[in-house]
Amino acid sequence: MSRRHVVLLLPALILVAAMGLKTAVTSNGNNLIAAAPVMNGPDPAPKPWNGPDPAPKPWNGPDPAPKPW
Amino acid sequence: MPGAASYAILFLGTLLEALVVVSAIKRKVLRKYFVLNLYMVLCLLVSWGRHYTLARDGFGSLNYRYFYFYTDALLTIVLYFSLISLYLSVFEEMKVGRYLRLGAVALLAGTSWFTYAIVSQSSHKILTYFAFELSQNLYFVGLVLTYVLWAAVLKMRQTPALLIQLVLSLGIYFSFFAACYALANLHPTLYSRVSVLFPVVGCLLPLSWAYAFWRVPNEARIAPARLAMAGVSR
Repeated sequence: MSRRHVVLLLPALILVAAMGLKTAVTSNGNNLIAAAPVMNGPDPAPKPWNGPDPAPKPWNGPDPAPKPW
Repeated sequence: MPGAASYAILFLGTLLEALVVVSAIKRKVLRKYFVLNLYMVLCLLVSWGRHYTLARDGFGSLNYRYFYFYTDALLTIVLYFSLISLYLSVFEEMKVGRYLRLGAVALLAGTSWFTYAIVSQSSHKILTYFAFELSQNLYFVGLVLTYVLWAAVLKMRQTPALLIQLVLSLGIYFSFFAACYALANLHPTLYSRVSVLFPVVGCLLPLSWAYAFWRVPNEARIAPARLAMAGVSR
């Protein structure tokens, strides 16, 4: 097996192992754990947002409004 | 709002992150472990940004949530490349840097594609969930990569003690979160208690890296296989 094949095969194996591990660790049907944030640093982690996004504000910039077609 | 203890831990963590970079500069290993230090500098900047957003908009605000999760994804990607830089250091003498870089990019692309494939089917807020899921998936990829690296280090004749300390710190850091997830998975009621420990663990990685840069001599080398055998014989 050439080095190029190994370069492609190893990442695939690692990805499968990692996703298998993730499934094993977080697949109890408990949304809290499945949605537990990863910690980078000691900052307090908020709960992931599951509600609707706020509606964007209408554009009020200085561009001239086009005439209706 | 987080309490005084949370702010104290946040302040301590930020100090430790700064200490890592200062220690690396003092010991003149900043260039050698550049990506690790870049990660710590980014952690420092992100901590300030999060603190600013937290103070301005509050803990439950959308601004803080979005800022937290997007920056978390960014930091996880940089942490992933820090780990790859450790791989490059360990396999430096084997001259396989080109293949390692190619493999790292392939793995990141594969993880991103996998994440997108899941998120695009289950959520209408693709970008937000993509950032969150990518961060979580890369974390598990990092966990597996750390163990693979440690297995490779154990096979080496001699490895710099500093490198071993950095790899082991990462291994403990990743493993602790995985253990917490697994524990909470077995007993979901424990999650709220276990999650209190997360910020403390967030301080442990900069603490151990700062210690490694500050105390472990550059030229010190260890035979990890002998180290493992000594551990077994005890």
